[in-house]
Amino acid sequence: MAWSEAHVRRLFWRAGFGATPHEARKFAKAGKAATIEWLLNGERGGHALTGHEPRPGGKKLDPLNVWGHDTLWWLDRMVRTRRPLDEKMTLFWSDHFATTDQEAPLMLAQNRLFRESGLGSFRKLLGHVTRDPAMQLFLSLANSDKRSPNENYARELMELFTIGGGYTERDVRNAARALTGWEAKWSKKGFRGIRFNDERYDQGTKTLLGRSGHFGTDDVLDIVVAHHRHAPFLTRKLWDFFISRPPDRATAMRLARVYRQSKHQIKPVVGEILAHPALYADLRAPDMVKSPLVFVAGHLRIAGGKVDSDAWPWLLSQMGQQPFRPPSVAGWEWGPAWLTTNSVRSRFVAVNYLLDEKRGSLKVRKGAGDPEAASGDAVEAALAALGHPWISSATRERLVGLAHRWYADMTKPWQEKQRPDRADMLQRALRHLILSGPDAQLH
Amino acid sequence: MPKFSAHRACDDFHETRRAITRRQMIGRSVGAGLSVYMAANTPLGRILEAAEASAAGAPNAPVLVSVFLPGGCDLLSTLAPVQQAGKLADLRGKIVRNDMVALPGESRIVAHPSLATGLNGGIAGLFGQGKIGFLPGIDYTNPDLSHFHSRHFWETGLVTDKAAPGWLGRWLDRHGVKDNPLQGMSLNGGLSPVLESGKAPVAAISSPGDAQLYMTGLWGDQARQANETWANLGKASSSSRPGPRAASEAVRLTAKVANQLAPYQDKDGKPAPALVPRVAYPEDNNFAESLAHLAGMLSLPLGVRIATIDAPGDFDTHDNQPKELEEALAGVSAGLAAFQADLEARGLADRVLTLVWSEFGRRPEANDSNGTDHGAGGVAWVQGTRALGGVLSEYPDLGRLDRQGNLGVTLDFRRVYSSLLEQWLGTGADEVIPRAGSFGRLKLVA
Repeated sequence: MAWSEAHVRRLFWRAGFGATPHEARKFAKAGKAATIEWLLNGERGGHALTGHEPRPGGKKLDPLNVWGHDTLWWLDRMVRTRRPLDEKMTLFWSDHFATTDQEAPLMLAQNRLFRESGLGSFRKLLGHVTRDPAMQLFLSLANSDKRSPNENYARELMELFTIGGGYTERDVRNAARALTGWEAKWSKKGFRGIRFNDERYDQGTKTLLGRSGHFGTDDVLDIVVAHHRHAPFLTRKLWDFFISRPPDRATAMRLARVYRQSKHQIKPVVGEILAHPALYADLRAPDMVKSPLVFVAGHLRIAGGKVDSDAWPWLLSQMGQQPFRPPSVAGWEWGPAWLTTNSVRSRFVAVNYLLDEKRGSLKVRKGAGDPEAASGDAVEAALAALGHPWISSATRERLVGLAHRWYADMTKPWQEKQRPDRADMLQRALRHLILSGPDAQLH
Repeated sequence: MPKFSAHRACDDFHETRRAITRRQMIGRSVGAGLSVYMAANTPLGRILEAAEASAAGAPNAPVLVSVFLPGGCDLLSTLAPVQQAGKLADLRGKIVRNDMVALPGESRIVAHPSLATGLNGGIAGLFGQGKIGFLPGIDYTNPDLSHFHSRHFWETGLVTDKAAPGWLGRWLDRHGVKDNPLQGMSLNGGLSPVLESGKAPVAAISSPGDAQLYMTGLWGDQARQANETWANLGKASSSSRPGPRAASEAVRLTAKVANQLAPYQDKDGKPAPALVPRVAYPEDNNFAESLAHLAGMLSLPLGVRIATIDAPGDFDTHDNQPKELEEALAGVSAGLAAFQADLEARGLADRVLTLVWSEFGRRPEANDSNGTDHGAGGVAWVQGTRALGGVLSEYPDLGRLDRQGNLGVTLDFRRVYSSLLEQWLGTGADEVIPRAGSFGRLKLVA
């Protein structure tokens, strides 16, 4: 397979947040294997962000204390990261282990956990998540007591986190008993941490998924991860995060096998998926819907923009994806579901914020439009200013048509001097249409 | 006191379709097979004419409003059985309230005090006027206690994990029109799975005054041309893949909804006259605000037939149930009471029926966190001037819990769906609910 800029762009949208024109050129030369290797393992010192920290709304980023800055802080990482896959996997896990409604310090700690462990061992990650204060408080595992075990975490552990089915209500109850003993500690200053209290742990025998024993928390995690449904369940979820068409049977089986043989390592599975030809199918007709975060971060990134507006928290919320605030423990619904009449309107409004003449990150400056440019060149200029996002030939035709009609009413000589302003307005219209039209919603 | 609010469990399940359908769903109702004939450059009058034509075809067509209480609303605290008070106290201890309120003309059950919140005595007051029919013990045989599964069953009217359009979306497929997305309206921003359809266009909308599209820095005829082009971009794709199809259709429909609602947009920060509520709705209550919008839109010739809305609040009361439920039910009662009064003031009440439902009930025995876990035998009600008032199903017996310690099921929700389809929407139940005959019928409409 020939490796081109179009392949790099596809891969970077799926495995990250789009490729800048520089990245597209550089990795097209580097070849497929080297590009995937770079995504998986990065380079020395790769955790530093590029460029300078933005000052959204003129203020220094303060994710711990200022409302909405947690969102801006993470969005900025997506835009400026040199490890796009790590950042994308952080998003994956924050959806898979969706947690919401907890205070910023706990949510940020969880976010760090996902970033650091997102490509390592799933069993290890699951152990950390199960002990994670934000998760424990969210799903009532903290203070679940042997006298009355709370079933919340036990149920979601099996249904959403590991096996997806194949268990009974009895398994839920027994797992809940085995998971008892965790206790949240508080002081006058607030939350102090989670600790294990033997007194509250149910020491009895439990029967879980066909096995019996004096199980505790780690036994439950070992059992669900060893369950025959786990590998297909998780590898399929990973596949669906990157590729919209379902895997064929042989691929699905190979992914599960790679996962099992690596002792539940995430990286080899993701590596297989990123190298799979299905990821590069129909390069001229992308078919996955960008989530709102991918849409905003990606278009800022490829066009060289920054997170310098503080409107993103509420704009993202209107678009349906506020980071750190998934709608439920099941996370967000990905795919075509992102696009409703209401959320599309919100994306339209978000593009206004991107292009705003005074405050927009991708503002259209005075003189941006060339009054003498041919219709096709005006469209090319708009695409170049946005970092060359994909548009279909049908879209291009319509945009050229609009540019062609743009000056049709300017027939009087005295209107000539309005032409430069009109040309700027054309750039605003074209860039808006490129970003708010159907094509930019896909990758 | 710790700074943290008591955590809420698996709350905020405003949408549940994920677990089942996120892997299986092929295409969504916003789009699939829809053809919109009205280009953006069609004169506004023509579009309104067409919307009005679809409304004029059936000016008094009944409207069904589906109100979802997310999380699994507890029957035993919402409506308590007077004769079983002793058993209830044994099972529930301190979370049992001693300030339940009497329901006028009803001696067997008492209501949560929050249900008396709002205009005209709230839900309890409406019950006294014969406008509420309570449905205790509603569920289905072998209840599934997963939010996702149970909610999916209620949304589709099918007790199966198979992906399917929503039951009211299927009704619109059969009885709706093909060119009016406002016939099925989700008021929560996202599209309710209840309204997901196979081919009928439907819309998700939060505020009619807020549906317009302006590109910043454009004005005059150029702005109009650019907006036209945007709507046309939605017609460019010929792909049959779900993603591209959704992107095109969503753009096309968004443009259309904006056009339809153009005459009703806010002017100078004030709503259009028709959308001004006729009664005082509770403040700081998004649910009530959306209901106020809905009442306004129902007064206009927009052809609305089905509306869906999620109640605010957390009904998944694993922890701290007394406080959580009190707030949640108060918001619901105040919002729905104002909605009812507004419909009556507008002379629309006789053509609107509201069904309030939740995915399951909660376990009779309290847990150790001052709350209750997922259980069977929930609560629902029908509301409206044409609703049959009273307690319309048998209250489950606390002395006969099932093997998991859950309430018995006394009414299958599909019996309610089938009855509403026939008695309210006036169409055959079998068209929407498979084997509808086997569920029997319950009189719900007076």
